[in-house]
Amino acid sequence: MIRLLIVDDHPAMRAGLTAVLRAEPGLVPLATASSAEDLDMAIQRTAPDVVLLDYHLPGADGLRLCRRLKRLAPAPAVLLYSAYADSSLVIPAVLAGADGLLNKSAPAPELFDALRSVARGERVIPPIPRELLAGASEQLAAEQLPVLAMMIDGTPPAEVAETLRLSPGAFSRTLDDMLDRLRVEVPSAA
Amino acid sequence: MDRVRAGRWFALLTMTRILGTFVAIGLLLGHRVTTYDVPLAAFTVAWSALTLMLFGRSARLRAAPAAWAVDVLAALALVCASGDWRSPFYIFALTTLVLPATGLPWRGAVASGVAFSAAYAGVAVITRKIPSDTLLNTIRLETLATHLFVPVIVVLALAYAGALLDRLRAAREESERLVLQAERRRIAWDLHDSAKQRVHAAHLMLSALEGRLADGDDRVLAGHALSELRAATADMETSVAELRTPLDGRPVDELLRERARELAPIGHARIDVVGALAPLPPLLAAHTFRIASEALTNAVRHARSDTITVTLDPTHGGGELIVADDGVGLPDPPPAGGHGLRSMRGRAETIGAHLEIGPAPGGRGTRVALALPTPGGPP
Repeated sequence: MIRLLIVDDHPAMRAGLTAVLRAEPGLVPLATASSAEDLDMAIQRTAPDVVLLDYHLPGADGLRLCRRLKRLAPAPAVLLYSAYADSSLVIPAVLAGADGLLNKSAPAPELFDALRSVARGERVIPPIPRELLAGASEQLAAEQLPVLAMMIDGTPPAEVAETLRLSPGAFSRTLDDMLDRLRVEVPSAA
Repeated sequence: MDRVRAGRWFALLTMTRILGTFVAIGLLLGHRVTTYDVPLAAFTVAWSALTLMLFGRSARLRAAPAAWAVDVLAALALVCASGDWRSPFYIFALTTLVLPATGLPWRGAVASGVAFSAAYAGVAVITRKIPSDTLLNTIRLETLATHLFVPVIVVLALAYAGALLDRLRAAREESERLVLQAERRRIAWDLHDSAKQRVHAAHLMLSALEGRLADGDDRVLAGHALSELRAATADMETSVAELRTPLDGRPVDELLRERARELAPIGHARIDVVGALAPLPPLLAAHTFRIASEALTNAVRHARSDTITVTLDPTHGGGELIVADDGVGLPDPPPAGGHGLRSMRGRAETIGAHLEIGPAPGGRGTRVALALPTPGGPP
């Protein structure tokens, strides 16, 4: 049985996900959250196995939330769920420590499989196009490239920090900076 | 120059010239300045009417320095004819500065004012009305200085007002643009945040349902509904892209050159954009650009070509656009909806253009040809 927490700001999406996931054997949606504040409370209350996290929440960055979730002990698996059919989100998702990235247009069986995979500890990351990798390495500083390579390779963040002899604080700042450099333009209400 | 061409300052010229004409006639006839006051007054009225008519009719003339020069010379001739630089025609002569002062950039405007003053000093010398004690006599000196400095001040004031109005107009245009942009972003956000999320939710629920249906008509129907929902999502993504980066009236060739520069580092093909199209209505331009951009992206991403040529030909019907590469060509059979081909066909249909996608002549590579509809022709 996989215990799920659904985080999405749109009511239609929350209702749809709850209905669809509840009907699937082995998956148990425990609660939904519509904002970063809701998420904190729901996490404490439910301690889910997997968080299905909307990439773009109003007033909060899905990537930062993802990093925060992955710093919890024990950390839930995080499947980032995005409405943008854009492969440029893959690298930031990997850097944020997401276990998976799935487009919202994926059919339900694909979502079920992805949830089961990340719950088992596997990664569900779409292939990264070569040109995207080239673009990302141009945007990043030279000393950040090893971090990128190891993270894409699936090395656990703690191990990456240790290998590069970075303190947890310094490593966290490096990741922040890398995510800033790779910031993806999304339409915002601002 | 655009300012005088637009005729915004012509009203000022008209009013001041009529006023100047009245002053000149009044002084001539009231004070009996010369022995030929009546013909001089008649000429002044005629010249005034002629210049106002010509400047009023022709934007080209309003912006022609040669026309300004003729106007100034005529006014100075009238001053000479009146026999004294303290002339009834002084105000009239000042009106000849309206067009240069508002039409030239401020340096040029100031230069025209200084040149006018120098010419006026010349007239003063010619009319031999500068007594030798002028520099010692306060009133005479003051009168001369006034006559020589007023033109420069007039020109400075007009040029300053003109520049200020331009800046004001630019600021207003900028704020209008920002409002429009904010509105577009809001619509894009609504579309993306609300409508698309609902479509995603519907797609998810339907796809879950589809798995529970037995093979048969119901399942086929659900499959069709799912593909419609996916198409709707794609449509919305396109609309959001258009709202976020509108073409803003820029010509298609310029946009394509920019796109080519963006795409150049991705592949290793050389991209040439040749020619230009005649200016297109906004909708036509948007779809034409997106079709060409899609074709270009495909050529860069999938064709593995060495050179890609985008040819824009304005002479062929309503205009023709060809994207040709020397790469691997389309897969056989060509993908029905892949590579954005469906969206390109949909766009072409929307604008009534004819789209042909096939192998390039010579059998190597792909050629995408878009024939735009003739303006005013059948839709």
